[in-house]
Amino acid sequence: MNFFKKSMISVVFAMGLGAFSTQANAACGSITVAEMNWASAEMLAHIDKVVLENGYGCEVELVPGSTMPTATSMMEKGEPDVAPELWINAVRIALDAATEEGRLHYAAEVFSDTGEEGWWIPQYIADANPDIQTVEDALNRADLFPHPEGDGAALYTCPSGWNCQLSTNNLFRAFGAEAKGFRLVDPGSGAGLSGAISKAYDQKEGWFGYYWAPTAILGKYPMKKLSFDVPHDNDEWNTCTSQEDCADPQKNSWVVSSVYTVVTDRFKKEAGVGMDYIVKRALPNSTINALLAWKEDNQATGEDAAMHFLSNYSEWHDWVDSSAKAKIQSAL
Amino acid sequence: MNIPEFLTVFPKMGKVDYLAFKKAIDGAFRQFSRAYGDSIESFFDPVLYFLVNLEKLLQNTPWPIVIMVFLLLIYYGSRSIYLTVGSLAAFLFIAYFGMWQDTMSTVSIIGVCTLLAIGLGIPIGILMSGSDRVRSAVVPILDIMQTMPSFVYLIPVVMLLGIGKIPGLLAIIIYAIPPMIRLTDLGIREVDKEVLEAADAFGANRIQKLFRVQLPLALPTIFAGINQTIMMALAMVVIASMIGVRGLGQPVLKAISNQYLTMGLLNGFAIVVLAVIFDRVSQSFGKRLQQHRAGSRE
Repeated sequence: MNFFKKSMISVVFAMGLGAFSTQANAACGSITVAEMNWASAEMLAHIDKVVLENGYGCEVELVPGSTMPTATSMMEKGEPDVAPELWINAVRIALDAATEEGRLHYAAEVFSDTGEEGWWIPQYIADANPDIQTVEDALNRADLFPHPEGDGAALYTCPSGWNCQLSTNNLFRAFGAEAKGFRLVDPGSGAGLSGAISKAYDQKEGWFGYYWAPTAILGKYPMKKLSFDVPHDNDEWNTCTSQEDCADPQKNSWVVSSVYTVVTDRFKKEAGVGMDYIVKRALPNSTINALLAWKEDNQATGEDAAMHFLSNYSEWHDWVDSSAKAKIQSAL
Repeated sequence: MNIPEFLTVFPKMGKVDYLAFKKAIDGAFRQFSRAYGDSIESFFDPVLYFLVNLEKLLQNTPWPIVIMVFLLLIYYGSRSIYLTVGSLAAFLFIAYFGMWQDTMSTVSIIGVCTLLAIGLGIPIGILMSGSDRVRSAVVPILDIMQTMPSFVYLIPVVMLLGIGKIPGLLAIIIYAIPPMIRLTDLGIREVDKEVLEAADAFGANRIQKLFRVQLPLALPTIFAGINQTIMMALAMVVIASMIGVRGLGQPVLKAISNQYLTMGLLNGFAIVVLAVIFDRVSQSFGKRLQQHRAGSRE
């Protein structure tokens, strides 16, 4: 009898649990979203958090991340569920494999103009020297870009460990920059790289190096992206330009930077309406730049910027259905 | 029960005022950087020149010569065959795994930082030991230097001086100089009052007391300070790399962000090996100085 009672209790308990979990699924459940350590991704993560929580009743937890660790963790462990802004060039091969196996999915391209990567010079240098249009032109003007350690000129490469460092260093060799008096400067970290740009800008010095858009730095300090002046050769890019052991790098244009929202299989299957929203969410670079400039001017956090976007912009109205829209607006 | 709002919510600064406050400080710093950045930069030019050339010298001299010179210095410092042979093995390990250039960069910047820290730290320590008022002013500053997260002051330094060796050098010295100052002060304060009275009785003036009595007696403690300074400087190698200082820190950063286990471990070990060599040599050098004194007194 006693045994029977106990098992009855556990059966009832288990049924209760089952009922509870189906209900949670219907309301999309608890989700982890990667909050990358740069401004635009931070803002997007907070937009997702507000929309998914208030519009669709999900429980959203933001997890700090950056490109390589987050991508690896998503591929290996299926966590976090959503990477709102993943620059996939750095991890394309592994990601393609994971999507083919169905563990991850490319949900949507998050910037409708794609990301822009390449070599930039400050606008004031470009204005003072209108003849500088291409990378080659800039490399011929070693006098404009003095090296911080005295002799020669400097090309600021990507920080150690970022994939773009390999491409920049290979293109540096391909364009014969060393023979023109240039040396590579490794800024060590993203903060170091942006610090170097703002220092050059404040003191109106020459600066030439790698950067990317949309970013707060480019919202704040107008820069000109130089053309590599050769057509983009994708095979060369994949087999040599972006590889560590590229023996004989050729001149090449920077690959178009695909920036995707990547989601795990679990999210795609279980989040339902949340997935519909993620697929539609895309912003033009001009909007992102304006938002980042607003964020910078007001020294705001990613959360503030997300709130600012949701209260003052209307782009997101098309991403959600009308009931979710009403719920989000009342929550604001 | 209704708790009044001012008890549950701290009356914080208004959002608008806070924004104005932040903007005012940022703007003031930006103006300062625009106005004085260049002159501050040229103030550091001699140090930069020295650093660049020391690094070039170490990197361009053929490795057997560099190793020979290091081993001679190590043997002279420690008088220990074991340590010398161990160091040789360590250098060969570093060079075999392709870390020679980075190690030379690290050695050059750590060397210069240590010299500057000793050169600045000992006089400050002496001043502190002479006056309680100076001491109570300096100690809180040392506390800030040791505990303030490096990036908080690194980013303003980068905005002022750009990235590279000089900001790295400042970061390392800020972190590594406090033990030098503290232990110099402590060593001098610990000198026996009776010994000082004896020196007074012999008619020693202040300078003579300082150089003939206090500093020699404080030497073991000062050496402990030098040793600590070197260790802390090495601990900053990775942070310094984050603002563009070449050396063993860069491959460590690369390994961290790409999760290259072996690469990270090898370069980490190279830093450890350097630390152990610096540590053992400076310790046994300090000990020998003491032995010599003890011997002559008997």
